[in-house]
Amino acid sequence: MDSAVAQKTWELENNILAAEAPDPSSDSIFHYDEVAQAKFLKDKPWANDPHFFKRVKISALALLKMVVHARSGGTIEVMGLMQGKTDGDAIIVMDAFALPVEGTETRVNAQADAYEYMVDYSQTNKQAGRLENVVGWYHSHPGYGCWLSGIDVSTQMLNQQFQEPFLAVVIDPTRTVSAGKVDIGAFRTYPEGYKPPDDHTSEYQTIPLNKIEDFGVHCKQYYALNITYFKSSLDSHLLDLLWNKYWVNTLSSSPLLGNGDYVAGQISDLAEKLEQAENQLIHSRIGPLGTSRKKEESQLAKITRDSSKITVEQVHGLMSQVLKNILFNSVGQQNRNEQPVSDPMIEA
Amino acid sequence: MASSSSSGLTFKLHPLVIVNISDHYTRVKSQMNPPPPTSVTSNSNNSNGGENNQSPPRAYGCVIGVQRGRTVEIFNSFELLYDPSTHSLDRSFLEKKQELYKKVFPNFYVLGWYSTGNDAEESDMHIHKALMDVNESPVYVLLNPAINHAQKDLPVTIYESELHVIDGIPQLIFVRSSYTIETVEAERISVDHVAHLKPSGGSAATQLAAQLTGIHSAIKMLNSRIRVLHQYLVGMQKGDLPCENALLRQVSSLLRRLPATESEKFQDDFLTEYNDTLLVTYLATFTNCSSTMNDLVDKFNTAYDRHSRRGGRTAFI
Repeated sequence: MDSAVAQKTWELENNILAAEAPDPSSDSIFHYDEVAQAKFLKDKPWANDPHFFKRVKISALALLKMVVHARSGGTIEVMGLMQGKTDGDAIIVMDAFALPVEGTETRVNAQADAYEYMVDYSQTNKQAGRLENVVGWYHSHPGYGCWLSGIDVSTQMLNQQFQEPFLAVVIDPTRTVSAGKVDIGAFRTYPEGYKPPDDHTSEYQTIPLNKIEDFGVHCKQYYALNITYFKSSLDSHLLDLLWNKYWVNTLSSSPLLGNGDYVAGQISDLAEKLEQAENQLIHSRIGPLGTSRKKEESQLAKITRDSSKITVEQVHGLMSQVLKNILFNSVGQQNRNEQPVSDPMIEA
Repeated sequence: MASSSSSGLTFKLHPLVIVNISDHYTRVKSQMNPPPPTSVTSNSNNSNGGENNQSPPRAYGCVIGVQRGRTVEIFNSFELLYDPSTHSLDRSFLEKKQELYKKVFPNFYVLGWYSTGNDAEESDMHIHKALMDVNESPVYVLLNPAINHAQKDLPVTIYESELHVIDGIPQLIFVRSSYTIETVEAERISVDHVAHLKPSGGSAATQLAAQLTGIHSAIKMLNSRIRVLHQYLVGMQKGDLPCENALLRQVSSLLRRLPATESEKFQDDFLTEYNDTLLVTYLATFTNCSSTMNDLVDKFNTAYDRHSRRGGRTAFI
């Protein structure tokens, strides 16, 4: 009884909509209606409303490809393009592909041979039956969060002038692996000079000290879109069956081992932030009281939140290690009792 | 036509390939049977029912990956054009696509091809032979797109070609090979994310719940598999089932592998990691504590603000 109540509470807290098993009719999202798309492109309803697109729907395939590509880059930023279509106020991303460019801070745009690649790829895709157009670009921010840097903002503003509708997606593969959930953000920039109507607060994320200025200067120039995912009925069927083979990987994953560098970097970054906060606090005692107080408090509070986040991730990683230790290492003592394999596991 | 392979190659398949093929098939299917418009009347329902009986054509494509020694790891795949008249795949298209993929993934080679369908057919052998000049021993991945809820196993089979002598004539036939699912951590997390639609963000409590639920389900699977083995062994002991020595040997070797690691070094490293985590927790609680203290002091000072305007500390009443 308790567990049912607990589950309902948990579901309510997290706004989990009951996942109706997608039936074949919902696969209609995969159908590309050329006429409707062309009409939409002509109408350009987004020209008047900078806040027109509010939602993003990403297909399972696109997400998988983007995350794998982002992770394969290691600590180097990688980028690619996304293909899809629009649907009212939602942009639907059906597929993604990687571009042969290496990301550095100074590159503004993809180079010439990347353009060639793009054209070739789109052509071959159309031949093979992938009819969608390019609707956006994605790139990775390994280890420093999902937001648009100054260069990203100017690139996206350019894209939104000439290649509408266009979407920018940022993925952080390091944080994905560390936290155990996908770290992704979808953004659109406001046109030059437009002031957003309300000061919406986005979900807080830690930004390393060396990037925090870049983040702060530009964070008002774009807004985040809500991301949902979808998959076809065949996809969900296959993924369910995949679990039969996959559980081994879940059990054997060790998030602590892969991300040692990242955690160390986070901790040292936190130490620097603490010093900064301390300096500010010392100076504020001499200065006037009042509003300046709020800033340091919230900075210390931010640091606290960051430290809790790091700790939580560490503890999660350790928990799985401890569990595996109990499962597989402590059996030695029981085995010596000449009994058939007894269940060392806790019953559900 | 399909017996088990004896080539000794181990195959590793990444989930990305499976999702790729499934997506290709769904696209082909939906372009062929356009969905009914949103305003439906009973008439259009009937006509659409008739349309849906068209069986979608098979989807064909190429799989790429890495071959290291005896291990073949299939990482990715892309679509190919199939020419029904000549029963062959479009060669120039393949080469163009291959070039494009080489630029982004320079390590991947063409390992074989895939298609959707129920079972390997004779015509597939033509395509297989045609691909043999790209890779002398290509693999053939077959995905069965029929959704059968009673099925417990992945409807993906990997075939290799082997030269067998049938009726005195050496012929190439398809033989089935076993494979394992291989993944990198990031792939696993995103597959998990899409498959189970876990909540993102939320408080630490929900994150903890999500993490533990994941591990719990994995352990439940382990438990059920071991139970199956156990029941089988008990049955063999009682004499209900025939004694199979090969299986007994495998079970015994499995048991001998526990405990997994018992070395001193492992214990040391494990405890060090444990201590490191505890230290991090300690530091975090410390930070939390000092932050709360800071808040308290500030609130205190604000409450007694009229006194501190004179500067310095004052006694408080």
